[in-house]
Amino acid sequence: MVEGLNRRRLGRIWHFASFGGPGLAVYACFVLAPIMISFGYSLTNHNPFNPPTRYVGLHNYRLLLTDDAFLTSLRVTTILTLIVVITPNVLGLAIALLLDRRGWLYNALRSVFFLPMVLSSVVVSIIWTRLLDNEGPVNQALRAAGVDHPPGWLSDPDYALYSLGAILSWQLLGFCVVVYLAGLQSIPTELLEAAEMDGAGPARRFWHVSWRLLAPALTINTVVLMISAFKIFDHVQVITRGGPGEGTTATIAFLVLRTAFEENRGGLASAQAMLMLTIIAAASAVALKLLRRREVDL
Amino acid sequence: MIRPDEVAGQPTRTTPRAPGSAPKPVAHPPDRRTPRGAGPVRPIVAIGVAALFFLPLYVALVNVFKPGDLITKEPAALPVPPTLDNIIAVLTRPDHLYWVSLANSILVTGLSIAILTVLAATLGHYLARSRSRWVQAVTLVLLCGLMIPPQAILLPVVRVLQATELMTTLQGLILFNVGYYIPFGVFVFTGFIRTIPVELEEAAAMDGANRFQIFWRVVFPLLRPATASVLIFLGVWIWNDFLNPLVILGPSRGTTVTTGIYRSIGQYQADFGSVFALMFLATLPVLIFFLALQKQFVKGLTGGASKG
Repeated sequence: MVEGLNRRRLGRIWHFASFGGPGLAVYACFVLAPIMISFGYSLTNHNPFNPPTRYVGLHNYRLLLTDDAFLTSLRVTTILTLIVVITPNVLGLAIALLLDRRGWLYNALRSVFFLPMVLSSVVVSIIWTRLLDNEGPVNQALRAAGVDHPPGWLSDPDYALYSLGAILSWQLLGFCVVVYLAGLQSIPTELLEAAEMDGAGPARRFWHVSWRLLAPALTINTVVLMISAFKIFDHVQVITRGGPGEGTTATIAFLVLRTAFEENRGGLASAQAMLMLTIIAAASAVALKLLRRREVDL
Repeated sequence: MIRPDEVAGQPTRTTPRAPGSAPKPVAHPPDRRTPRGAGPVRPIVAIGVAALFFLPLYVALVNVFKPGDLITKEPAALPVPPTLDNIIAVLTRPDHLYWVSLANSILVTGLSIAILTVLAATLGHYLARSRSRWVQAVTLVLLCGLMIPPQAILLPVVRVLQATELMTTLQGLILFNVGYYIPFGVFVFTGFIRTIPVELEEAAAMDGANRFQIFWRVVFPLLRPATASVLIFLGVWIWNDFLNPLVILGPSRGTTVTTGIYRSIGQYQADFGSVFALMFLATLPVLIFFLALQKQFVKGLTGGASKG
């Protein structure tokens, strides 16, 4: 009896070790432990080139509250996130409504919109850097159209952040199109027909039927776009390197890496990273909660 | 093979129309999918918008086949006559940047997704079938991993890799990829395994199969759609990864295609022809992959969208 119990227990341990263990072990080593170490670093003055590491309590966090570079990065990230959440969502819905028909043509066009999603952000960044260059195709076209002094899309501090937002929106648009299309096509035709029988025009049918039933698609798009926007690093690194000027396009994700690997201020960078993580978690939790409330079950 | 209508939506959505019955001229609820009397407006607008959207890629593409001076002078013109000089220049670079980067990317992506599939499928199976009370906690901890930006963990990861002498090695990058992307894999697999009746496994156990045999011979073959999703998405993500190889492989040794392109923009400066050719060649594998599997892409992406 006792032996049987032990054997069953051993079996369960063996099951865990062979099936659950390896995956969890790698996850623990490369995500869980580093997160905790990061938190630990954030309470120290860690700098690999300037040991010894000392415990400094909340000093780093206090420093960040008045740190211009950090506060600027918060502002930059917020603006970028707003652009990236709103633009692809709105345009994506419009394009999904346009493409909500059957046939090879619409399938092919859907793929066109999705294409930038599978391109590397480095490739997308270089293409757009070239396009928006002061002497690049966009400005050449503007000059040809009679605009004498087209703006320096990426070199003018007043424009760079918005140009970056536009580039990101272009790349992420396809995701929204595909998700909204799937949402539209899962709406039972009978519902729309019933609304039409009741005399509802296209606008009312959209607003009272489709838009409500697209709630899950809106939730997914908004949360995914928000998390992606918060993590934006590649495009900033390749296109603007945080400039032009003092950090006009330096997102939090960009600032963390610069502080960590260029300034070697590991403690401060970890504090920035912890705040970044907290903001992402809080913002997506709030967004999820608000948006889920709109969702209705059929 | 997957039929298009399976992907685009459930086939039951359109109103069935009796075969042979002509559409009645009376007020008749229009079928959204086959609009009656549809003018050419929608397809024309749709093509126009898509063409506008595609313009940046068109410019990039034509410049691959254009000599350098024309790229700055007339960037949007068609390349007549087209030249392969840019592509040949990239393929025959003396430092083999393209070939080395390509080999590294294939190795890193291939090994990462192979290991990820095995570990995520087994862990997913464990979480889906285990009745232990820890399972929920473990699942929650993994769920958090989906949200963690690499920035929040890279500094300690670099220290761990330095301590184990895996820093600036492909093995180190692969290990990190496995740890970082495993939550995604586990969620795809766990969700899918829950839909497979456990009786199948019980029957196999009655027949005397052990756990490994049950998993690899009975369960895993049934997971093909989930495996496809995991391979496709993680494959594209890891192939396109920029930050992780940039930090872990470091500036001195080895590049993947993305960090290779990044490094080349500094060197070439004005030689855009080579840059565009390099980007084209680096994107080609993922492009072919996408065009061949686009239906699975869409299916994988939208699995959750309609269910919520």
